[in-house]
Amino acid sequence: MEKKNLKTILVWGLCALFVACFWSCPSVSRAIENSECMDCHGDESLERAQSEGMSEGLHVDNNKFKFSVHNINGITCVDCHSDIEELNFDNEVPHSVSLAAVNCDGCHEDAGKAYVDSVHKKAGGKGITIPCYACHGYHYVTYLEANSVLERENGFCLKCHNPGNFHDWLPQKDAHFAFVECTVCHAPEVPRYVALRFYDLVNEKFLDGEDLLKALNTDYKGFMPLVDSNKDGIINLEEFEGIVLLLRQKDIIGTFHGEVVVDLVPEVHHVNRGGASRECEQCHNPNSPFFQEVLFCLNKEDGTRAHHKVERKVLESYYVNHFYALGGTRIRLLDKIGIALVVGGVSVVAGHLTMRIITIPVRRRRKQKEKEMKGK
Amino acid sequence: MKEDKMMYVHPAPVRVWHWVNAIGFVFLIITGLQIRFPETLNFFSLEDAISLHNYIGFVVIGIYGLWVSYYFGTMKIKIYFPNPKTFFPDAIRQAKYYGDGIFKGEPNPHVMTPDHKFNAMQQKAYLGLMFLFLPAQMITGLFMWRVKRFENYIELLGGIKIVDTIHVLLFFFFCAFMLVHFYLATLGHTPFAHFKAMFTGYEEHH
Repeated sequence: MEKKNLKTILVWGLCALFVACFWSCPSVSRAIENSECMDCHGDESLERAQSEGMSEGLHVDNNKFKFSVHNINGITCVDCHSDIEELNFDNEVPHSVSLAAVNCDGCHEDAGKAYVDSVHKKAGGKGITIPCYACHGYHYVTYLEANSVLERENGFCLKCHNPGNFHDWLPQKDAHFAFVECTVCHAPEVPRYVALRFYDLVNEKFLDGEDLLKALNTDYKGFMPLVDSNKDGIINLEEFEGIVLLLRQKDIIGTFHGEVVVDLVPEVHHVNRGGASRECEQCHNPNSPFFQEVLFCLNKEDGTRAHHKVERKVLESYYVNHFYALGGTRIRLLDKIGIALVVGGVSVVAGHLTMRIITIPVRRRRKQKEKEMKGK
Repeated sequence: MKEDKMMYVHPAPVRVWHWVNAIGFVFLIITGLQIRFPETLNFFSLEDAISLHNYIGFVVIGIYGLWVSYYFGTMKIKIYFPNPKTFFPDAIRQAKYYGDGIFKGEPNPHVMTPDHKFNAMQQKAYLGLMFLFLPAQMITGLFMWRVKRFENYIELLGGIKIVDTIHVLLFFFFCAFMLVHFYLATLGHTPFAHFKAMFTGYEEHH
């Protein structure tokens, strides 16, 4: 009986000691939940006064934040705002009013290193600071891979730049802005590819991956086994034709739109003054490296995309009817028809001229006869 | 040569249109080839070739306006329309001449007058050229000059590649046409007679 009491006292004693330590020792912090931050930052009216009557909004829209790439990957508020170690709700502001700038490089080390070699970082020498979030935004960063050229441009470069001011030399500048991402030219060493997406002409919308796969009665895993009949991992022109036919069988009539976009690798930050190429021939050339990588894109709802390599020849077909770079992705068959037409013209001229030369004596005799007749 | 008559068949607006159009075509063909085959040809940089092609294209469109104004303003446009009753026999007779009679020294069955300038084959060919091929070439060229501005029309035609296909096929057709046209112009009573007439306006009538 005594032994049992002693055991009970010991257990309760340890519990009391643990609770006492927890409450009395501020250095042992517990994890701060996002919901605790949202208690205050979920309030739309939350702001703080700045100088000259300006104010800074401190509201974070949780509905948008929960779809952000950071939240999806389990990154909490205090993972980035790492100088907040505890919240003291006894104070009006439960953490330090002045927080340190978020250090994106801490996680995005390669991107941080790549950014050093960019005109945006170098602008720091002129007293301009362009931190990561100036382009990427604060709390609502989403996957960018599936973004179209316009989305990529609007979300980044066009926030500050007006390309219309500096591209008057560029023929068809609107078309270039619509089909070629800025960084394709302005960070020329970054790998780039032609992204092909299916546009449903009847419903007038791009089909995302799910819709397209549903129409083909398959899923992401089954897509290539379904279309890649020769199993070489590349969708060739014949196989591409097969996809179009399969879609037509399901009454889905459409066309493929192409866009030249960059791979979202850290080097994409290597945008430098004078780095852009003004040589049209670099792209407008059938041997251009800009059209070597062609990908069939199945865009996902979360902003990522599954993609599969496509034979370059597909760009020279009428299946990709809305993407055309003069000289670069031209239809070779037309050149053959053209050569036939010109050779035909030359042959007619050469043949007729030869006959005229050969028959000179015939005409000469005829003229002679006519003269003789007149003489009589 | 005493019985030769000088006949005024090419009025000044037609001559101006013809030569501006001809020079324009030559430059459009050269710049067009450069645009089409930048990996092979090096006449100009692609940027310059495109700029020149655009400027000259507008000159050709503008001068086509002169042709339309003159021929419709004077109602002489009817010289381009074959007579449906006599077209087939006339065309066959003319084809026989080009394919046979010309080699034997037979006279041209078509006698040129200001109101009857073209033979049946020329009427048919030029009708197609001036009312179908050339306008189609100009319209598709205009669309490709500003793809985004005309994207709705391009969409209606089936996309940029369809518009480009029409433009390129007509381009090659016009290349071939220029060769044949130049050669046929040497079939006058002397090799340079028709060239001379297109400068002076007067054809020598035999």
